[in-house]
Amino acid sequence: MTLLSVKDLDKHFGGLHAVKHVSIEVARGEVVGILGPNGAGKTTLYNLLTGFIPADSGEILFNGHALRGVRPHRIVGMGIARTFQLCRPFVGMSVLENVRVGSLGPRVPAGDLDARARGLLGDVGLAGKEDVPSERLSYGDQRRLEIARALATEPELLLLDEPFAGLGSGEIDELSVLIRRLHQDKGLTILLIEHKLREFMKLVSRIIAIDFGEVIATGTPAEIVANPRVIEAYIGRQEVGHAA
Amino acid sequence: MNTPRYRNIDRAGAIIALAILAVLPLVFTGRYLVGVLTVAAIYGIWAVSWDFMSGLTGRENFGHSLFIGVGAYTAGFMNTAWGFGPWWSLPAAMLVAVIFALIMGFPTLRLRGPYFALAMLSGAVIMQRLMLIFWEYTGGEEGIQGIDPLLASPLYFYWLVLAVLAATTLLLVSLARSDWGLILKAIRGDEATCLAAGINITFYKIASLAISAAFAGLGGALYAHYQLQVSPQLFAVVTSITIITMVYVGGMGSVYGAVGGALLLSLMTELLRDFGEWRLMIYSLVLIAILFFLPNGLVAPIWQRLRTRLARDPGPPAASAPQEAKRAIDNAVAGKGEAV
Repeated sequence: MTLLSVKDLDKHFGGLHAVKHVSIEVARGEVVGILGPNGAGKTTLYNLLTGFIPADSGEILFNGHALRGVRPHRIVGMGIARTFQLCRPFVGMSVLENVRVGSLGPRVPAGDLDARARGLLGDVGLAGKEDVPSERLSYGDQRRLEIARALATEPELLLLDEPFAGLGSGEIDELSVLIRRLHQDKGLTILLIEHKLREFMKLVSRIIAIDFGEVIATGTPAEIVANPRVIEAYIGRQEVGHAA
Repeated sequence: MNTPRYRNIDRAGAIIALAILAVLPLVFTGRYLVGVLTVAAIYGIWAVSWDFMSGLTGRENFGHSLFIGVGAYTAGFMNTAWGFGPWWSLPAAMLVAVIFALIMGFPTLRLRGPYFALAMLSGAVIMQRLMLIFWEYTGGEEGIQGIDPLLASPLYFYWLVLAVLAATTLLLVSLARSDWGLILKAIRGDEATCLAAGINITFYKIASLAISAAFAGLGGALYAHYQLQVSPQLFAVVTSITIITMVYVGGMGSVYGAVGGALLLSLMTELLRDFGEWRLMIYSLVLIAILFFLPNGLVAPIWQRLRTRLARDPGPPAASAPQEAKRAIDNAVAGKGEAV
């Protein structure tokens, strides 16, 4: 069953055609990777989906609701949560307070929000760090905090933007386990942008490859790595390839 | 960090401070001190209402005098031109100030950048001008004279103002320590992250400005009924700057610290009267010293340190938390200012 359906989505920044007529479908319960070189328009796509920037044209349907023109906090209220490429904890607040803020939206029923936040912190492996000022966390822990805060909004669809960026290999393994658990145990649908390809390929069931704002290929990880257009986008044409 | 024990110490501290302020004019009798304390307490209301919005969200309001002025003029018009009893001034001033807050907040608080600060500054200047342009109605430079006092006895009036200050502070501190305050601090930290957390930041900013304006207007009405007149000077930029200075000295974002800052600077102004023409210079030097050596202010950090000692609970050093936070915010602004 389709959870997210994007049709002909288009966005210009001045002369730059950042997202070109993108159409994608994501089924409920899928883990879909978005692959593409730097500047391909992946984060812009996230910003369009979450209402942070308005699209020029096209259609976004989530659970059957049109999202274009809906304000970002309302989109979160409809069940889409995101993380940012750079960790952005609320400085001057404890880890627990950071997560609590995520549960103050309309989606979360009133109740013991602190207990709920503690539970989420346990889920992401930050138990025992509830009272630490969030800016003192290690970068890896800040990523976990980002994810816990996103989970606090009770999403159906989670958009992760390069969750492994800046992490050591041990941290990446742990975070991979966490992402897999979120999918398997909580049934979350996940969109994942990532450049650490080895981990990326293991996590996702399907990949949408984007270059210069266009979808150039979709398919399973195996299909994508064999796709000539993807290879070209990533390592250039073959003759250029061995000259370099 | 906000353990029940700390809360009890806070409560005890507030009650002791309130008791001292209430008893002071009985110990040192004379109209002079009552007058000084009344004005200091009104400044306290203004400062605490400024800090609630601007200290918590970091959206600095350079035109708080706009709300003060419209509150005071509302009291003046109601009482003299329209013949309402003086007590009507208080709710009416709050209401009119809220209307002005909505007019100012809707277009400017949705935007990032300095628009809100600049709009508030110019709003206050424009209102001051308008009071002169429409002199036939507003009395021009003279303003409105002959406003009735709320209470005949200056001492009773002082106690009334003190009670309003206490109630305002209690309400705003409670709000600041609730989820509402948590959201305002989050807005200060990062608006994009707040949106990603599903928070309607525009609503919270505008509503907080409205609350802030309501109490500024209330203080303005009290001031009108203390001076028994209003003049365009009420809108002066220097009033807003004085209030901001008081909040800085009190410790931005603590809300209760603003009251301490207001009392401290008001009393310092009076104590320095003996220095004649040197007064402003000494006042400024003391201010610069405080802001230079204690960038997080004086009142709130000292109280936090004292509270930690009183609680004899080592735990996380509460006193250093705001410093850490400020440093981190500065770093975030300088380093991580990347667009979404």
